[in-house]
Amino acid sequence: MRDVAIVSFAQAGSLVDTAESETQMLLPVINAAIEGSGITRADIGFTCSGSADYLAGTPFAFVANLEAVGAWPPISESHVDMDGAWALYEAWVRLQHGDVDVALAFSSGISSRSDLGEVLCLQNDPYYLMPLWADHVSLAALQARALLDQGLATEADLAEVVARSRRNAAANPSAHPDVRAAGDLSVDQLLEAAYTVAPLRAADCPPTTDGAAAVILVAGDRAREVCDNPAWIRGIDHRSEAHYPGLRDLAHAGSARLAAEHAGVADAPIEVAELAATFSHEELLLTEALGLGADTEVNPSGGALASNPMMVSGLIRIGEAFRQINEHGKHRTLGHAASGPCLQQNLVCVLEGDS
Amino acid sequence: MAERCAIVGIGQTHHRKVREDVSFAGLLREAGQRALDDAEMTWRDIDAVVIGTAPDSFEGVMMPELYLADALGCAGKPIMRVHTAGSVGGSTAIVASHLIQSGIRKRVLTIAFEKQSEGDTTWGLSGGRSGGVGAGGYFAPHLRAYIARSKAPEYVGWMVAVKDRLNALKNPYAHLKVPDITLEKVRDSPMVWEPVRRLESCPASDGACAMVLTDEAGGDRAPHKPAWVHGTAIRSELGQFPGRDPVNPKGGQDCAADVFAQAGITNPRKDVDVVEMYVPFSWYEPMWLENLGFAEEGGGWKLTEDGVTEIGGDLPVNCSGGVLSSNPIGASGMLRFAEAALQVRGQAGEHQVDGARTGVGHAYGGASQFFAMWVVRDTKP
Amino acid sequence: MTDTDPQVADDGPVRFMPQLISLDYTVRTNPVAAAFGEALADGRITGHRCPSCSLVFVPPKGFCPICTIETTSADEVVIEDRGMVTAWTVLTPIQYHGQQERKDYALASILLVGADGTVGQQRLIDIPLDEIRPGLMVEAVWAAPEDRVADDRGYGLGTAIDGWKATGEPDAPASEYEGHTL
Ligand SMILES: [Zn+2]
Repeated sequence: MRDVAIVSFAQAGSLVDTAESETQMLLPVINAAIEGSGITRADIGFTCSGSADYLAGTPFAFVANLEAVGAWPPISESHVDMDGAWALYEAWVRLQHGDVDVALAFSSGISSRSDLGEVLCLQNDPYYLMPLWADHVSLAALQARALLDQGLATEADLAEVVARSRRNAAANPSAHPDVRAAGDLSVDQLLEAAYTVAPLRAADCPPTTDGAAAVILVAGDRAREVCDNPAWIRGIDHRSEAHYPGLRDLAHAGSARLAAEHAGVADAPIEVAELAATFSHEELLLTEALGLGADTEVNPSGGALASNPMMVSGLIRIGEAFRQINEHGKHRTLGHAASGPCLQQNLVCVLEGDS
Repeated sequence: MAERCAIVGIGQTHHRKVREDVSFAGLLREAGQRALDDAEMTWRDIDAVVIGTAPDSFEGVMMPELYLADALGCAGKPIMRVHTAGSVGGSTAIVASHLIQSGIRKRVLTIAFEKQSEGDTTWGLSGGRSGGVGAGGYFAPHLRAYIARSKAPEYVGWMVAVKDRLNALKNPYAHLKVPDITLEKVRDSPMVWEPVRRLESCPASDGACAMVLTDEAGGDRAPHKPAWVHGTAIRSELGQFPGRDPVNPKGGQDCAADVFAQAGITNPRKDVDVVEMYVPFSWYEPMWLENLGFAEEGGGWKLTEDGVTEIGGDLPVNCSGGVLSSNPIGASGMLRFAEAALQVRGQAGEHQVDGARTGVGHAYGGASQFFAMWVVRDTKP
Repeated sequence: MTDTDPQVADDGPVRFMPQLISLDYTVRTNPVAAAFGEALADGRITGHRCPSCSLVFVPPKGFCPICTIETTSADEVVIEDRGMVTAWTVLTPIQYHGQQERKDYALASILLVGADGTVGQQRLIDIPLDEIRPGLMVEAVWAAPEDRVADDRGYGLGTAIDGWKATGEPDAPASEYEGHTL
């Protein structure tokens, strides 16, 4: 594989009820990613974006986002109706060809204009599951219940995840302001709250968040020329598992484990992992599935529990894993993205710095 | 480029207005199974799946790769979903080919689809609002501008319609078949979006198209002669800005120039044996002939008029009947790519062009702003 | 939320079960569109002139998509409510759920005096469908002030302008509308 590195990352990670159009929200983020990268717009040989029409409630919503990219003269550009992490994956694949050295991957999502509890029901099998209107929180609660029932976690373990996420989010200006404002909560305090969908409480679920993020990828030595401390993609893979919750062992994130194997997570210790665990119990599932040890710091940004712009959350996790190398001098980090009910689809990206 | 890419399996559904006999997933499996049968493979042999479709609102299923994972054998495998408006079938095939050419996967199944009967496309296009113009209403002014600019006679549009409808009679999978088609019949069909008449426009179809792509070793082992990818290109441009020309968009010109350069094509009119391009309204045949460099500006309609684009002509275009005959929107682009590959494999049946060795597949989308193309041949690059 | 209405045919198996799904979206008018809408309510059409390439975009986007820089109210310019038809289409409305149009009608792209790009999908009023042509000069027919509501997404001219009627001026020459097919 050709060496490809992330050299720049920018985000508007936690907008609340934004009044801006998706394009207006994206433009400064893409500009910031480019300005921070040491390359110019004209250097970009491939662009890939991620978004979902159904969040916007408009077919072809992604088309307008092209205006934030700078698509004149025409550019080589593609789009996935998936989290931006998969856009980054497609860009990484494209850079393997050798004829293009610089790629832009970005994504955007405005979750605040619809009821995700309704909209995400449309991700379910249209014939048998969708008519039940089983929303994503209820399905997540099923998975959390499986974890508890099998003795793999307790409600206090979930609260620990929440408490740590909130502590970390306090130091992250890109975390959701409501989460940051709530301040430190102890496990006991968290456990006093009523269930939202048992066994999940409000704090076990992510806040509704709008946002955008962009990443610049550069291949080969050019990455070192433009960036003091690039984060090299050492391994990246994504896997799905069966859609039907009933066909799966919900107490284990099988496709996350597979993606981690293929991304080479176990080859060397991971210092920091940023996991797209949108519900507290998912962090426990993922930590186990990815084979992360006690010495791996998880979600120093606060993670997706502290800020969850749909379609962007995964790309932000990879961006935060990049920042751990680029800004904080870590050597080996991991970014994770997920999609679908009960962690159906998982992507794992292992990054390494030169130091 | 680390690896060559071979097309070893091709399958498509019978395209119909309503495929009530299959579910949404069943439609994809029908195409996928045919492609696997052609490649003499099973679902188990596939490393990764790439699917493509137009907006989710056409079927009412959000991010359908999630629901479809089970039917497509993706438990434990990677599956991606591409969405680049009308060009999506083409760009989906290109994403799949890149997984092979990068050396990351060895056997990729790619499927593009639309089940328009399970939703309401015009409603979907309008975002549920009143007064949606639909695709025809949007494109009609561009066609009128082309006619004014090129001074093409009105009957050229009818000729394209007659040709593609006659070609469709030779394609067992085609949706719309009008056996008694004549120029007069096209001329007398109702005007829907001036200058587009009913018989000059595409139907709404349920359908899917699938291909199995492999690395070079897979191509060498293939049970049936493979087609080889010699070039892929995509281009996007802003949909609207002052001075933009949707009649001869620069994105299409650049896309063609790029893909032809990769394939070593210097004179497309001579070097290409067969073309499948995205012609949802008849006038797009002469327009794209010019845009892609098969004819000089203003001269595309003369190729149509002279019969150059007929089967048996110098540069046969849309021997399958094209989008005018079958339009499962998300699949329409991939059908162009797959039909070009079928031709160079010599497997196009009754609509086969004798001795076709170099084929071009083309798709476009959005406000004529997204383009995807590939060049395939019967020999390795 | 769900309206399941199994249509069981008397003489055959069930073929389709219509399931109409309703999702509610909150539409927010972005600040640039809101300012545009306020000006419209006041009887003025405004655009943004890109400080880099000088192109005037109507309605304003809050950025120039060609230069990829942001534009603000400082870049605002007032456009005339008069211009030329550059392209048009006659629609026979397809009847889908929510469609309120019943009869054939024309939508035109109009290049306003003072703007560099057209405004699309504008209704033409009192102009026979077979007399529409590029270069035709038209002017706005403003809605009553109390009926002017800016388009909620910031596209088009919302309800402030009912449509466009011919001014009776001579047609603009081809050189002025060519290049504005969109
Ligand atoms: Zn500008």
